[in-house]
Amino acid sequence: MKKHTFRRICLLLALVMVMSCALSTTALAAETWTVTCPWAPDGVASLVSQKAASLSTEYSEDITLVAEAIKGDAATVNTWVLDNEAGDPGLVFVGEGLLSITATMDPAKMQFGYEDFAFVENLYSSVFVLSADAKLEINNIEDLQAYVAEADEITVATNGATGSEAFLAAALFGSMEAGDALKLVPYQSAAEAAQAVSRGETDFAVSHQSQILETYNQGGVTVVCAFDEGAIENGPFAGVEGVGEYGYPYFRNRCFIMAPAGTDEEKVAELKALYDDILADEEVVEWLHDTMLLEVDTMDVEAVEEHVANVKGIVEEYIDIVQPE
Amino acid sequence: MKDKLDKLGARLQTKEIRIPVDLTVGILFFLLGGVVLLIMPQQVAISERDVVNGRAFPRLLMVLMMFCCALLVGKEIYKIAKKQPLEYKTVNLLVEIKALIILAILIISYLLAKWTDLFVVGAVFCALAFLIYFRCKKPSYYVITVGMAVGIWAAFRFLLNVRF
Amino acid sequence: MLQHIIPASGLLFTLQNILWINIGVFIGAVFAAIPGLTVILCVILFLPVTYSMSAIPGMMFLLGIYCAGGYGGSVSAILINTPGTPHAAATMLDGHPLSKQGRTKAALKIALYASTFGGVFSALALLFLGPQVAKFAAQLGTPECFMVCVFGLTIIAGVSGKSMIRGIIAACLGLLISCIGSDPMTSYDRFTFGVGRLYLGLDLAVCLIGLFALVEIVSRAEKKPEELHMDTSKMHDNGLITKAEYKRMARPTLLGSLIGVIVGIIPGTGASEASWFSYSQARNMSKHKEEFGHGSVEGVAAAESANNAVTGATLIPLLTLGIPGDGTVAIMLSALMINGLNPGLSLFTTQGDIMYAIMLGLILVNIFMLLQGKILTPLFAKVVSIPQEILTPIIVIFCFAGAYSVNKNYFDVAVALVFCVLAWLLRKLDMPPVPILLGLVLGKMTETNFRRALLISNGSPKIFVSSVYCWIFIALIAVAVFTILRGKVKEKKPQAEPVTKEE
Repeated sequence: MKKHTFRRICLLLALVMVMSCALSTTALAAETWTVTCPWAPDGVASLVSQKAASLSTEYSEDITLVAEAIKGDAATVNTWVLDNEAGDPGLVFVGEGLLSITATMDPAKMQFGYEDFAFVENLYSSVFVLSADAKLEINNIEDLQAYVAEADEITVATNGATGSEAFLAAALFGSMEAGDALKLVPYQSAAEAAQAVSRGETDFAVSHQSQILETYNQGGVTVVCAFDEGAIENGPFAGVEGVGEYGYPYFRNRCFIMAPAGTDEEKVAELKALYDDILADEEVVEWLHDTMLLEVDTMDVEAVEEHVANVKGIVEEYIDIVQPE
Repeated sequence: MKDKLDKLGARLQTKEIRIPVDLTVGILFFLLGGVVLLIMPQQVAISERDVVNGRAFPRLLMVLMMFCCALLVGKEIYKIAKKQPLEYKTVNLLVEIKALIILAILIISYLLAKWTDLFVVGAVFCALAFLIYFRCKKPSYYVITVGMAVGIWAAFRFLLNVRF
Repeated sequence: MLQHIIPASGLLFTLQNILWINIGVFIGAVFAAIPGLTVILCVILFLPVTYSMSAIPGMMFLLGIYCAGGYGGSVSAILINTPGTPHAAATMLDGHPLSKQGRTKAALKIALYASTFGGVFSALALLFLGPQVAKFAAQLGTPECFMVCVFGLTIIAGVSGKSMIRGIIAACLGLLISCIGSDPMTSYDRFTFGVGRLYLGLDLAVCLIGLFALVEIVSRAEKKPEELHMDTSKMHDNGLITKAEYKRMARPTLLGSLIGVIVGIIPGTGASEASWFSYSQARNMSKHKEEFGHGSVEGVAAAESANNAVTGATLIPLLTLGIPGDGTVAIMLSALMINGLNPGLSLFTTQGDIMYAIMLGLILVNIFMLLQGKILTPLFAKVVSIPQEILTPIIVIFCFAGAYSVNKNYFDVAVALVFCVLAWLLRKLDMPPVPILLGLVLGKMTETNFRRALLISNGSPKIFVSSVYCWIFIALIAVAVFTILRGKVKEKKPQAEPVTKEE
């Protein structure tokens, strides 16, 4: 190797070292908390986490949030629980998918329980909607009831085989006494499920509101009902009836930020306050509302436990429809 | 030491093993297919109501694999019966021992990084081990390679925020 | 459209955008050239940089990474016989032999030109045909996707080396490995042996590191010390591509670009599939089949044009329907959404200028990729002259760091090592590794679409002939099988002749 090449490499190395030192010094100014999202980096939860992290330095001089997404669901949280103990600057997301669904269906997959975490805050609350192939002309719950009464087979596209969407579909059609006719067709993503229903591959799809919006705008689907207590109040789907009005079971999708169990209560309160400040930011509220079609929904421990128990009850009741023996 | 190693190398270089490729592939993968089919009930849970269950695709693959293996073995048996030459692959013992040494370097580097939870330790070991493996005598190469090992770690750790 | 072009140009041609494009292109090319560091990983790592930017510079930066990543993967494939990214594996088959012939610069230039052509071709398709193409793509459902996979599996014949049977066995192994993890149709675990980390299956990039990069390191054992050092001083690598070679590149490049666009618009498929489809078709249609695998310029051009033609095509369903065409584009979707843009046709009305600026920007990205590539090619080519004592451990360290970065754990490094051992054993048995890779690429998609189609049809196979698109794919499969069989017959004939003469 020629001498000047060697010099160039040495210079490059020195540059890397200086930059590394500079970066590490800046990072030391505030305590960095890594927020691990165990789902896809382009998913709703990860997006909201990234948005929150990008604003953390505006609201705190002591805490910097760094969002990371490591796809792996229960496996990622298992590793996180092993790697993080009380006092470590790490936060993780868990939702009803893990605490209620996986915990009931496949507890062996989880090497953790609710007791391994200290609840910090709920990041958002999302109301899922049921959309139908536009050709079926089902526009509300009454149309749906009439359709279900006649149908021999009902196909519903869902994101994944055993997620929240699958259980919401099972709970709705199960409580309409149509559990035997229900066929859940799992897709790799919510976007795929939305397309499947619009081209008539399935009759219905369950998805987040933002995930069906474009297909709805193009006229491929009608939005039949929302999985909530009452009608949707705002946004493009305002006025869509809630299944709760007809006494059908439902739950909202929530996303809890957790610290390791045993973390100093003051620190947990500080983190909660930081998240609350970020979630109260007008830009964030507007973004969650208009772009993501989600709601800010800060919670306390009791409300979290109630949500987990409610979803668990639904899972236990309709598990045979989603995963028959 | 160097002379001893050279002598050993020269001795090993003359030792070769000939493998009848198709016959070995046929038998090995036929057995693999059989094992996969055997363990399938324990490893793949299914539901009675599935139209096509989770075992169907891997079972189809293993049946196809075993069929291909049977073809290979059948062809080789025919060749033996007709006294036609089989296709052999020659494996040199020196090459395999050198490959094992390289594999050992890779595995030790991985274990060092994992156990110490410091990637840079494994990286520096890897750099030094390969330089020794190649019998490098130039001090500048040691400086460059170890420096780059540390540099790569630093770039990942501090610029890309990969914590290891 | 025209009413948007002028304001969109105004938004696009700013110093800030040009700067971010160039930074993105540079990072993407360098990142993808390093084995183990995939384009998707690069986009994930650099996504936070875009949080403080507005939509256009943010997207330009990410598109720079995305497009240059398509080309960058070919650099290490050509230089060190190790594809930097999964989609550069097909380039490796002919790119590295060309480099070994002392034509490193020429190989890099062919890859660069073909990549640029593919990129610009797909950017134009996005600009002029976006909504129409997206509507066609939306009609392709589960059975059609299964047919695409079957078509993809016919490639195995072309990459099986000496024995097609061994190739099929290797492909079966790859397809079986793709079954590891949670069953996509039921969520039951398969072949996980109680290992929690296997629940999500094996990452393609990690497998690739073991199958191609690390085994290449172990294969240093097969070489004598003098063979390890390429005597570059004796090589007169002027990077010249002859007129005849340009002519030969034209057809595979055009066909590859078309294949890339078609594959790219089908959600779930990606650059890896496109490059293999294109490589296989180029081989089948070539008058110089014998050169494939030994340094064919057509092979490099076909693979590279296709994998870069995917870049614009995957944006078609994203921008028009809000459906990301592949994983990397899905992350770009988040960059748009964080900026308050929810992609879809309605956005063309409400934010038409921004949408057209992004589409025009894709052409600009490809032009800057060409310019930077021309500057970087001589530098990249110097890698072959780095002493093996230095290069070997550096490649290993990059591979380990890349494997770790995928999911930020050492388990993936161990998986890469297991694949390295597997690849070494298969090498000893003359088993080709490429069909394993194809099995890994197509496995999950093939099985999921097959089972989902039968679930929809209640087990009736008629679903696979239920649409005109299915019939088109069946016809394509028939043509591919016929071409393969004709090729095999032709290959056997010249072998048979000398024997007859001897007799």
